[in-house]
Amino acid sequence: MLKMTDVKKVFRTDLIETHALRDFNLQVGEGDFVAVTGPSGSGKTTFLNIAGLLETFEGGVYELDGENVSHLNDKARSQLRNEKIGFIFQSFNLIPDLNLFDNVDVPLRYRGFNSAERKKRIENTLEMVGLAQRMKHLPSQLSGGQQQRVAIARALAGEPRFLLADEPTGNLDTQMASSVMDLLKTINDAGTTIIMVTHDGHLAQQARRNIYVRDGKVSELNEVEELAISQVAVG
Amino acid sequence: MSNKPASTSTNWEIGPIFRAMLLNKVGAILIALQIAVTMSIIVNSVYIIVERSKEMQRESGVDTANSFYLSSLGFTPDYNAIITVEEDLKLLRSLPGVVDAIQMNAVPMSGSGWSMGLQTQAGAEFDGVGTAVYMVDEHGLNALDVALIAGENFSATDIGVRTTGQVEWPNKTIITQAMADKLFPDDGWQSAVGKTVYINDLEPLVIVGIIDQLQAPWVGWDNVENVMLSPERMDFKGTRYFIRTEAGARDDLMKQVEELLAQSNDGRLIRGMRSLQEAQERSYRSHAAMIKILSTVMVILIIVTGLGIVGLASFSVNQRKKQIGTRRALGATQLAIVRYFMLENFLISTVGVVLGAILTIGLNILLVNVFSLARIEWFYIPIGMLVLWIVGQVAVLGPAKKAANIPPALATRTV
Amino acid sequence: MFNYYLKLAFKSIKRNLILSLLMVTAIALGIGASMTTITVNYLMSADPIPHKSDQLFYVQIDSWDPNSPFNDDNDLPPNQLTWTDATNLTHAKQAFRQSAMSRTGMVIEPAGDDAKPFEASIRLAYTDFFAMFDVPFLYGSPWDAKADQDPQQVVVLSKATNESVFGGENSVGKNIILSGKHFQVVGVIDDWKPMPKFYDVNNGAFDGSEQMFMPFSLRQALQLPNWGNNNCWKTPEGEGFEAFLKSECINTQMWVELPNVEAQQAYMNFLNNYVMDQKDLGRFPRPLNNRLPDVMQWLADEEVVEEDAKMMMWLSFMFLLVCLLNTIGLLLAKFTGKSAEIGLRLALGASKADIFRQHLVETACIGLLGGVAGLGMAMLGLQGIKSLYGDFIEDLSALDINMVLVALVIALLSSIAAGLYPTWRACNISPASQLKSQ
Repeated sequence: MLKMTDVKKVFRTDLIETHALRDFNLQVGEGDFVAVTGPSGSGKTTFLNIAGLLETFEGGVYELDGENVSHLNDKARSQLRNEKIGFIFQSFNLIPDLNLFDNVDVPLRYRGFNSAERKKRIENTLEMVGLAQRMKHLPSQLSGGQQQRVAIARALAGEPRFLLADEPTGNLDTQMASSVMDLLKTINDAGTTIIMVTHDGHLAQQARRNIYVRDGKVSELNEVEELAISQVAVG
Repeated sequence: MSNKPASTSTNWEIGPIFRAMLLNKVGAILIALQIAVTMSIIVNSVYIIVERSKEMQRESGVDTANSFYLSSLGFTPDYNAIITVEEDLKLLRSLPGVVDAIQMNAVPMSGSGWSMGLQTQAGAEFDGVGTAVYMVDEHGLNALDVALIAGENFSATDIGVRTTGQVEWPNKTIITQAMADKLFPDDGWQSAVGKTVYINDLEPLVIVGIIDQLQAPWVGWDNVENVMLSPERMDFKGTRYFIRTEAGARDDLMKQVEELLAQSNDGRLIRGMRSLQEAQERSYRSHAAMIKILSTVMVILIIVTGLGIVGLASFSVNQRKKQIGTRRALGATQLAIVRYFMLENFLISTVGVVLGAILTIGLNILLVNVFSLARIEWFYIPIGMLVLWIVGQVAVLGPAKKAANIPPALATRTV
Repeated sequence: MFNYYLKLAFKSIKRNLILSLLMVTAIALGIGASMTTITVNYLMSADPIPHKSDQLFYVQIDSWDPNSPFNDDNDLPPNQLTWTDATNLTHAKQAFRQSAMSRTGMVIEPAGDDAKPFEASIRLAYTDFFAMFDVPFLYGSPWDAKADQDPQQVVVLSKATNESVFGGENSVGKNIILSGKHFQVVGVIDDWKPMPKFYDVNNGAFDGSEQMFMPFSLRQALQLPNWGNNNCWKTPEGEGFEAFLKSECINTQMWVELPNVEAQQAYMNFLNNYVMDQKDLGRFPRPLNNRLPDVMQWLADEEVVEEDAKMMMWLSFMFLLVCLLNTIGLLLAKFTGKSAEIGLRLALGASKADIFRQHLVETACIGLLGGVAGLGMAMLGLQGIKSLYGDFIEDLSALDINMVLVALVIALLSSIAAGLYPTWRACNISPASQLKSQ
């Protein structure tokens, strides 16, 4: 379970302060699939970064799995990130000179598994995304959709409780996007909580729950508004 | 091409470049520091090289290219040094190709010899002027190829015989012009002829002649130009011969002389046959080595610094690909892109060479204090600055051209 | 995890091969240059007799000119003794071991008809010389102490001389003709080449030891010439060899072995008393200025390390500095280029410490590669020095295992030092900023 209460985030430069999140409140339950939409600069990505413990925040409380993570040090945060959270990015962020096996291996290394355990998990997850045969290939030898599948395999290999996805289909064509979306749904059905930031109203509709972020705040939507938003987004 | 307003010339972008540099302070500082340290090493090295070369190019006074020397060591109990020397000299002087030959106690640039002090007033309480001593006969001036510029040469009757452990000196001497200047700083060397000087505090010597120039055996000695000739034949078991040959005859004569002398008397050993040229090379070997080492270091340093600049510039071009594409899309010409990187490097280099000038002087002061080197001359510094400016500009040219070839279309492409 | 970092390091080196090669080369050049000059300086300033260099003392007493000191810049006493003082002091036997010594030479006439005579350098010394300096013997032993008093024509040969005259066999008891006189071989020493040649630095501090050794008493008896440095402030009183020998000219060295502080103090008192007694005889016109430097102090006093060698060492350190600045710049660039990967690794659960270690390993790898390549360069450099300076440097340009270790440690430390800032910057990037597509 993920719970944010009155979370604030301010970006400061010499000249200006930007309030990226103001009194951000959200609760995501076990096994949920939440789609986060909102205009550019609304704070979606900031929210996802804070949720993934990639960024710190100024005020409020953030509990992950019942644990208050506000004051954890770098090591503890890294460990939480490693064990409980999986990330999927718009541009896949595979490491270009590591083959698929080694890419999926990255989080498992920091987890401290022994080599047999790592091998088993890497093979299982690559099997699951349908790329077990191409383990020794480099990312550049794959299509975009395949690369995103590897990224998903990498996110899942550590069996995280939460999967955070930032525009996971943004760089993919429609067909590939829908297959990635299907994969995410399967994963969610298997019990993993997913939070997905997206522009795409269609995609958002496939989630169990939709939230809309504007000016750094959450507004939960009713069906009609959702539809309107999605039409705007698609249009 | 767009119409440029007539009043504005090319926009050099110094302001934006400088502000962009401030954002990547560390990178710029590193290059500047590297340039500064490189400059301080290079300028001081060049200075050392020039100083050493000057020293190596000093005249030895003798006919370096056409002279050689050797040692003769008698070892049998019945060995008669005086007779052997007279016979040897007669033989040597009769050889075709030999200009002249003398017995000598020491040889210029050979590294070992005798020194004494001469003083203008008698008495242990007066300081003397240090001088190297060469014991020669009346053939000395001809064999050594030195010119008598005042007074007269020794005559055959002047030549005394020196025995081992002898303390007394003959009563005549010929000195170099440099020595005369040191002995009589007020009156000048011309006044020295006929004057009496004292050796061993009390023993008088009359200066009968002055020769133009001749070096002592030790090239690193402060008084290397101070030499006195003493009219003496040496009754020593071990002695040296100095032989001057006609041009081109030296090498053949060296072989011939070695054989002839060895055959003429088997109660002695001929050894240490060496040309003056080799003696000179040996004496200046460490200088020659230092020059070669420093030259190598300089070349490598310039290459390292140059490649460092190339590496960092290429990297910065790669990082800024998109930005450069955008600039091109916004109308920057290829020349403008090249100029941007050259100018950026020029600004960094300027900081580097200014810092380098300070470091150069600092290093020189250190070298002056610790290793008693001479103080550097001022014009080395601007030349050094110029050289490093050029190195920087040449190094950055390649990456800058690469940057200029980035297509404007890159701006619209997501990477 | 270390293996994983190692694997990543090599991946990363391969990825930016030219940049990495540039760094390795820069470090190698800097290390190579520094190691070359450090080696030369190290060998020039090495302790030639480490197990007892603090028990061996060079005897210095000020017998010089009343009107001017021996050394104008410092007030050190003369660097050699008169024959008279060295003989007196040795005969007094006030130290545990002592020996006056000087250098001479004679012509060896080998027995065979074909063999040509050749000149050999000789160290004249007392029999204590061998025990004091732990000279190893191949055959026989030092001469009897009696030969120190009543000159006997005995000789100890170096291994090389024994080989050229006697073909390397045990020549003890055999005859050898030196400058027309018959000598008996009493011993042959094994290879012995203290570096620097501390016992007589005035006559070539880096030359080998002499070809033969014979009793010091023969110098007077056979009127042997002085092959070493000679300095006079006063004309010998009288003509001939004997007068020169007994003059105030300094041409003799003397070493004593003093095992402890008490012995050293006692010997210093003895020296002072000796000089006071001589003053009564009208000698030693200068103020009392006696010294007993031990081996290392003596080598330092005599400035055995060449100025050029020191200067080159300094310059080579600056050269290394340039190479390191170069490396810092390139590493910074390289790690900046890896920001995206670092951001991703942080997102996937790497802690800052993980990232720090990963890049430290990468830096260390580059450093070690540079160090190994630098060793190669140092060997080339030493070879170059040898060819430039010739024979005199022969024994000063060999890399030993200590130097190899020093080279690797310096390479490792300097590259890690160079890598610290770039690594610190690398692990402090904000992961979130790197994960969005650019």
